Amino acid sequence: MGEKMARAYDAIVIGAGHNGLCLAAYLQRAGLSTAVVERRHEEGGGVNTEEPVLPGYRHNMHAQFMEFFDVMPMIRDFGLEEIGLRTVMPEAQAGITFEDGRPPIILHRPDLLDRTHESIARYSKADADLYCELKQRAAKLEMLLATGLYNIPSQETQQQQALALAAVFGDLGISAYHATKTCKVIIDELFETDELRALLYRACVEWGFPVDDWGTAGGFLTFIMWTMANWKLVIGGTHGLAKAMMQACYREGVDLIENSSVERIVVEDGQAVGVVVRGEEIRANRLVASNADLRQTLLDLVGKDELSDLWVKRAEDYRYGPSHVLGTPVFCLYEPPSYRSARWDPEIDRCFYTVVGYDSAADMIRYIRDAYSGRMPEPGAGTWVNTIWDPTQAPPDRHAATGWYFLPVASALSAEEWADVRATFNDRFLEKWQRAAPNMTAGNVIAHRLYTPDQQEQKNLMREGDFSNGEFAPDQLGANRPFPEASNYRTEVAGLYLCGPSAYPGGGVHAACGYNAFKAIAEDLELPSPIDPARGY
Amino acid sequence: MRDAYDVIVIGAGHNGLTLGSYLARSGLDVLVLERRHEEGGGLCTEEVTQPGFLHNIHANYHTFVDLAPPVGDLEVRKHGVEYVRPEVQMASIYDDGTALTIHSDLEKTKASMARFSERDAETFGRLHTEAHGYIDLLLGTLMYQPPLSVKELTRALAAFGVEDRSEFLSVKLRRESINQFLDQHFENDKIKAHLAFHGAVCSYTNDVPGLAIGYPLLIGKIDNWHLCVGGSHRLAHALWRDLAQHGGTLVANAGVGRILVEGGRAVGVRLEDGTEIEARKAVASTVSVEQTFLEFLDAESVGEELTQRVKSDVKHKDWTLFSVHLAMNRLPEYEAAAFDPDVNRAWVVNLGYDSTRALDADWATIRSGQLPEPKPNAAVNSLYDPIDAPEGCYTGLLRQFAPFSFADGGAGAWERAGRWYGQRCVDAWTRYAPNLDGGIIEWAVDTPLDITRKLVNMPHGDWMMGEISLDNMLDQRPLPELGEYRTPVTGLYMAGSTQHPHGFITFGPGYNALQVMADDLGIEKWWQQI
Amino acid sequence: MSDIYTADWYEAVRDAINAKVGELPAKAVPEGAWHAVVEIVGDGASPYVGAEDTRRFLVRIENGMCDWYREIDTPNPDVSLDYRFTGPATVFDEIAAAQRDPVDAALDGTVKVRGDMRFLMRQAELVKVLLEAYTTSVDTEWPQGKPPYNGAAG
Repeated sequence: MGEKMARAYDAIVIGAGHNGLCLAAYLQRAGLSTAVVERRHEEGGGVNTEEPVLPGYRHNMHAQFMEFFDVMPMIRDFGLEEIGLRTVMPEAQAGITFEDGRPPIILHRPDLLDRTHESIARYSKADADLYCELKQRAAKLEMLLATGLYNIPSQETQQQQALALAAVFGDLGISAYHATKTCKVIIDELFETDELRALLYRACVEWGFPVDDWGTAGGFLTFIMWTMANWKLVIGGTHGLAKAMMQACYREGVDLIENSSVERIVVEDGQAVGVVVRGEEIRANRLVASNADLRQTLLDLVGKDELSDLWVKRAEDYRYGPSHVLGTPVFCLYEPPSYRSARWDPEIDRCFYTVVGYDSAADMIRYIRDAYSGRMPEPGAGTWVNTIWDPTQAPPDRHAATGWYFLPVASALSAEEWADVRATFNDRFLEKWQRAAPNMTAGNVIAHRLYTPDQQEQKNLMREGDFSNGEFAPDQLGANRPFPEASNYRTEVAGLYLCGPSAYPGGGVHAACGYNAFKAIAEDLELPSPIDPARGY
Repeated sequence: MRDAYDVIVIGAGHNGLTLGSYLARSGLDVLVLERRHEEGGGLCTEEVTQPGFLHNIHANYHTFVDLAPPVGDLEVRKHGVEYVRPEVQMASIYDDGTALTIHSDLEKTKASMARFSERDAETFGRLHTEAHGYIDLLLGTLMYQPPLSVKELTRALAAFGVEDRSEFLSVKLRRESINQFLDQHFENDKIKAHLAFHGAVCSYTNDVPGLAIGYPLLIGKIDNWHLCVGGSHRLAHALWRDLAQHGGTLVANAGVGRILVEGGRAVGVRLEDGTEIEARKAVASTVSVEQTFLEFLDAESVGEELTQRVKSDVKHKDWTLFSVHLAMNRLPEYEAAAFDPDVNRAWVVNLGYDSTRALDADWATIRSGQLPEPKPNAAVNSLYDPIDAPEGCYTGLLRQFAPFSFADGGAGAWERAGRWYGQRCVDAWTRYAPNLDGGIIEWAVDTPLDITRKLVNMPHGDWMMGEISLDNMLDQRPLPELGEYRTPVTGLYMAGSTQHPHGFITFGPGYNALQVMADDLGIEKWWQQI
Repeated sequence: MSDIYTADWYEAVRDAINAKVGELPAKAVPEGAWHAVVEIVGDGASPYVGAEDTRRFLVRIENGMCDWYREIDTPNPDVSLDYRFTGPATVFDEIAAAQRDPVDAALDGTVKVRGDMRFLMRQAELVKVLLEAYTTSVDTEWPQGKPPYNGAAG
């Protein structure tokens, strides 16, 4: 047998998560031969839909919805809707329901704001007025926020966003000063309705903003108010997005090397020149970009020997969780839940995302604080029954439901304790679910299963089960992500870039980490800019 | 999706992807539509136990590697597919503690057989060598081209005067069962049991008259079983990559509701969600005959006679497979290793069938809608796949012959019986390899009903998409009027495992439909480099 | 009498084929033209093909009749090929000397056949006649001896 020729590409992207795929597509289009090396057998990373329990019942194991669909450059630049990406935007978007059957609160999609108003106004007209006002004004921030998202972060953009608070909300008495508050404080200051507060605290957690951290309230007023109830569901499951992105990559000529865990990044004379995969070195003539988390990239794959003491220290200090630590329960159902609260508003039974198991804002805060401090909380969840809007996700006349519990970091419990959580937590949640929706009896649940943070860690190397690959906290957000010296996607190893959620802006399905990494690479290698002048970023 | 393509292929199983890829490489604008969220059909690898354990839910054995032209034409290895041909391919462990092992090395196989019968070992060696001599000819004639009829084959064999030269080519094989063939040539019950088992795993049921005709090919590739490293789904990825890198488009989550027909010609499809897509040149269906002619087309386009025949004459397998997927923290150590240590390295192990009679008795049980006493076969991919499980862990796959439908309770009874029967299969395995007690981290079942629910193109749990029998072979498969890949609707082709040669990862139906479509559409056959 | 693998010999083969085909019923003879390459690969034993060489002959059959039969110096002649038969020189020599059955040679894999096997099987009667003409109808001279070669060259 002849000797195997060493494989070589211009660019190697580590990780076929959606950010890696985004970067790869732009690189190949810019003329660089590009390979994506993926540890798993599937592309998509957290943009992952499976049939984990029963055939035909599809569940999104991580990412559940797309809130950046309208602004995500890759969707337009690569015509993803022409090659298979299809979405729906449910009318009733985000709701909270209660076991005593009091009215739900349902936030509708932006073009149905009057219904949102009607829903909140059952509790408080003042809150309804203010929420709708804030929502409309936040929509005006879209260009500013999108430009901020899809650019390399700087202290200036953050200042601009703070100033914009005053510009957009100033006459409501909101100024840059409000950005220093916690999410909980600003929600409590703005709204009087306990039920609405509970829903909004939960929305902060979905986004990854710790509700009690000082300095995160700006994020609530801008990003959360902009994207709240602005969610699209991908037909067939969120993995449909990964499929379309992967196909765009293939059509450009990108190679995927799957089932291939990267053992190390090869550094020669301070320059990243390739990766070693299952004993084989694959050369990268121009660059290596890593979608893996920060510590894995720097400490495990590059190694301390190639790094300065400062960078080693920064990487070691980088924190994972407690924000974005997922437990994903999946349920196969005969029928979707019929909530007691539906007697006030039947739309709650068709709501895309429904929060179940919390009776009050205090309940919600207790849950969040428990989970964030490493204690197993009392069950409660955000739930999606996607089959209401997309019947292809379950067999005919059946339903697939998925949820998000936010749970303690993987290391907070032992393997045995997590096994016990898997065996018992869903049943405890189902008791609560049945109290809110009486038809959610054991007989309505064909099968169910829970994926715990330790399993998320095993599946996608999401350390601690943190899907953002790094805590959302002021010192790890914005131009501080992952740490100030590395916030422009470049590393101190020439030709090595960060393109995953350890980089700005962090976790979420926006592909901004990949897009911005491409901008940095394009600057360095003098490649054509990806900026569409009509888009502006 | 755009609203028009040259060719629309329904179903992204390996046949649909293969066909689509060749057409895309021929410069056509191809759309492959898939109902599921994943491409691959039976090439389906999922983490059904725990993260990091890659279980092949359907196709596990790739026996046509390097025999099927698409493997080379579509550069699947360049696309990253790694095949391993295990040194110890298969084994049978018998209840008296003895064991037979089939190796990639014929001499070792013969040595194992000789422990049971010197004569049988010699016979096997002779037949194997003979079959190997003409395997290319056999594949070129019988697999990778549109089918000849049995009559044409018989006439050709007579004209060449070869039927007397080999018991393999004798026309009387078409009247015989594999059991009869084995009884004529072999003397040892255990060897016969293993050879019959091998036939059955390939869907050539040993007691069905006429299937001896397939035996030369079965013997010839008995040691050509390959494992796809990282899971069989990787082949699906490679085929999709090839399709898309050549300009084709795969769209998943796009179930077809109708094939649109105008003036007797297929002009496009309507998806279940109502989207209509035009096919400028052709539509090819790789899904079931029932879906294609009863669901996607109206009786007017199909014709009353064919509609009736699809309803009543399409034949499905009368047994299917029950699977248990296991996550394990140790490899099985069989008691039979005391007799033959190689059983511990055998990729696939047949547990407990000592004679063809034992197999026949189970077929009878299964055909009467009862569950047999479990005699599963056990495959441990991790023996040869370094990456299908987390470090220090292993995957296992138990496959048990089983009925689709219970005499008492129908197919629905699997919903209750699955876990219970799965436990019995696991227990059966543990009896042969006691060290597995405590070594199984988690297991999940895939019942015959699950097969059909997951892959709706496999009705009745029929993983071959059509019975393997003499009257459902070659140009008679799936019905004589559909045997040439063309249909009564102009521009509509059948290109899936319903067609000749059959199911399994053969690439044959897609490749053969391609030949017919190339003739009809005037595509230059660049792949036929003579 | 003509020397093996010379133009004369091929003319003799052609004439023999055409005479035999002429005797076949019309329906056993397909219409249209076919091209086949016969590749005789040097094996160190046959004196008629160098050990490292391959001699190739291009045959054209039209309506069952052999049009021409010529030696070529490229594996891929500028015609649309339908078949390729490839095998060791000694085996081809033995076939021409009627010492080996060509069907056996195909069955045991020593002569590889590429092309549309379905058509070949459907035209089995014609193929049989072509093979017979090749093996038994020509008076062949073997200027450097005929097989078996006693391993002299190899």
